[in-house]
Amino acid sequence: MTESDERDRGEQALAGVTVLELGEFVAAPFCAKLLATYGATVLKIEPPGRGDPSREFGVFPASGPDRERSALYLYLNTGKQSVALDLDRAAGQQLVRRLAAQADILVESRPPGHLATHGLGYEALRAENPRLVYVSLSAFGQSGPRAHWQATDLTSYAAGGQMHLTGDPEREPLKPGGEQADYQLGLNGFGAALVGLWDALDTGEGQWIDVSAQEAMASTLEIALNSYAYTGRDIWATRRGNINSALLGIYPCADGYLGVHAMPRNVPPLYNVMEMPELAVDPRFNSPAARLENNDDLSATIYAWAADKQKREVYERAGSMRGPVAFVHDMADLLASPQLAARGFLREIDHPAAGPLVYPGPPFVMSETPGRIERAPLLGEHTAMVLRERLGLNDDDLRTLSGQGIV
Amino acid sequence: MGEQRAEAAGLTGAARVRPARRLPLANVRIADLTAVWAGPYATRLLADMGAEVIKVEAVNSPDLLRALHLQPPGTERPYNRSAYFNHNNRNKYGVTIDLASAEGRALFLRLVRVSDVVIENFRADVLDKLGLGYETLRAARPDVVLVSMPGHGKTGPEAGYIAYGTNVEQLAGLVSITGYEGGEPHKSGISYGDPISGTAAAGAVMAALLYRRRSGRGQFIDLAQREALTTLLGEYVVGYSMTGELPRPAGNRHPAWAPHGVFRCAGRPVAGTATSEDRWLALAVRSDAEFASLCRVIGRPELASDARYADGLSRHRHAAELDGPIAAWTAGCEPLAAAEALQAAGVPAAPVESYRDLLDGDPHLRARGFFEEVAHAEAGSWRMERPVWRFSEAPAHIRINAPSFAEHNRWAFHALLGLDDAALDALADGGVIGDLPNMAAHGQ
Repeated sequence: MTESDERDRGEQALAGVTVLELGEFVAAPFCAKLLATYGATVLKIEPPGRGDPSREFGVFPASGPDRERSALYLYLNTGKQSVALDLDRAAGQQLVRRLAAQADILVESRPPGHLATHGLGYEALRAENPRLVYVSLSAFGQSGPRAHWQATDLTSYAAGGQMHLTGDPEREPLKPGGEQADYQLGLNGFGAALVGLWDALDTGEGQWIDVSAQEAMASTLEIALNSYAYTGRDIWATRRGNINSALLGIYPCADGYLGVHAMPRNVPPLYNVMEMPELAVDPRFNSPAARLENNDDLSATIYAWAADKQKREVYERAGSMRGPVAFVHDMADLLASPQLAARGFLREIDHPAAGPLVYPGPPFVMSETPGRIERAPLLGEHTAMVLRERLGLNDDDLRTLSGQGIV
Repeated sequence: MGEQRAEAAGLTGAARVRPARRLPLANVRIADLTAVWAGPYATRLLADMGAEVIKVEAVNSPDLLRALHLQPPGTERPYNRSAYFNHNNRNKYGVTIDLASAEGRALFLRLVRVSDVVIENFRADVLDKLGLGYETLRAARPDVVLVSMPGHGKTGPEAGYIAYGTNVEQLAGLVSITGYEGGEPHKSGISYGDPISGTAAAGAVMAALLYRRRSGRGQFIDLAQREALTTLLGEYVVGYSMTGELPRPAGNRHPAWAPHGVFRCAGRPVAGTATSEDRWLALAVRSDAEFASLCRVIGRPELASDARYADGLSRHRHAAELDGPIAAWTAGCEPLAAAEALQAAGVPAAPVESYRDLLDGDPHLRARGFFEEVAHAEAGSWRMERPVWRFSEAPAHIRINAPSFAEHNRWAFHALLGLDDAALDALADGGVIGDLPNMAAHGQ
């Protein structure tokens, strides 16, 4: 940590922390984006010319694919510095080793063992920087018979157990929208990296941290795995579709979908929101046992009630009555949300190639050090600056490296 | 069960031979007011890494998860045998304090005085109405870190609305982009917003502690669960603001890669019935080379030279036509055998694992020692997933079981806060502390 970094960044929780990101697509970039959001200086190493493959995946503006205008890249790389270096060349590896010698945290998501074969494994970097916290994010972890399996977000999600529980019982298991396995992996990496940094500040020594997406997801199967592990009984033998029970499900309404999630104590308020207070004394629906017995009738009653309702009208009325009914927000609803607007969660950020776009803010707001969302870098935008200022290279060095295609 | 023998965290190389050092968060104490899943998952992650987490329940508001015990009627103290509770609260200590009473609040503030962090997941207005808002906590402990994690956050016109687990993903935008191709928006299988918010909150605690370490100052953290989850799909927000096109559910298809999906394999007969359990394989093809390998493995090499599938763009356009040939092959395969055949050819594939598969049939997780046997004084023995963040020098394990209700009252109030027996008796007589939960609070 240096004082000049802290002045540059102002008052942020992780001011002065330097992070080296050797990742692509989602997991390591999301982890490093969160570190940048709370004030760390993130040096993102990208292959020269091509950059992070997320630059090729869009979505793109109507004008077509453009490495500087991929929504996936723009979102996942806010607040970072892009350093274009060829990791397949010895000179590129040497520069990364020198950057790692000055870093507090390294985050990577290459196939297990890949960086070690490039002279950038934990043991090699630790020898030069014992304080380094080295975070390895992968689908199956760094050890075990599947460590070297090829993986994508889909196959990783399938291996973690969440997919088995998602979808309709009569159809194939369903993955949720986006890249949820990789995002969960990156989010775990964020917390683990900070625990590692805390420990390194205490002890003067870093560690190698291994986070497996499969294990992270297998730990979060609500009541399914833990109750099976303990009782041996299969209480969640199949997928439950969009309606787990009448009081926990998604119901179509006139202009979208309502989401009901009522615990026993919320049932009377729910009936009031439906303007059917008589249900609370209806023997079919007035106790958990009766509701279970008459689940289909109750579900049909809610379906019929919801059919001609307006989502926001019901949501606001339910909210004021402590009735647990939300509605399915699409992207337009997020942009129009009075709640998100009042909290300033979504914000417009300009970018030299992509222009002004709307970005989600930090996942949590800190009162003293609120976090920041700044635009993603252009490919290699900070290469010269970083190599000059951090490694002391001069113009001749840079010209030579550039001529060899290393930067 | 005591401290387990230190061992490597599943990492290879020289890391294995260095002696283990103390757990990273051994110097952090957390007063934990959270219940159910989101908050307890946050403190579970931190407790796993060595933090001393003191979970506060009350006689009249035991953690709801204690009620979800699935034990037969007549089971003694079933609230100590809830696996859902016991998994999410291992490595923590448990006390009871009635925060609705003035004496209870005073006792809690004594705990705050010796704690680094307070964390809660009540609805937005509850902590303040209890008279335990941030300013009050800060008066007791000037550098305290307070993390609040209500569904909508602490501020804004919807802050007082109820938002449970499945509501969070609806509000976050995730449900609108989840679903079968051309179908309705679909919920995920779990209360997905809970573990996401919990994992983010664990990071929030660490960011605040790192800042306190540098500045000496605590702070207040407002984590809106819906916002935290939206950060896991931010590219859709950015993309919508770029194109104005609303993203729709696309099933298991990928925006660029094809084939990409889940295919039915040979079923597993269910013992004693004529039925079989359905089993599935997930596979993804990212390149022409992987496609050629796939075609070879499924015995249809001619598809690799079919013009309809010549490159990624064409395969994507004709993705539905490829489903049949792949499904015809997987239908006769065990999912694991199919995955191994494809992996051997360099194609990403994995079985869709059920929780039974993970626990009973996953040789990889077994090799990594992912499940650890626990022995709980009341609940008996079973297997539990180990700490997820594996550190090479300080490998973490399940050190202590989840607390029985009120298990650590005496330790916490006597040894930690210095109350004598007479004071403890007075608190018990006044109903401020107690060891018998009122499960009627959860309809039991």
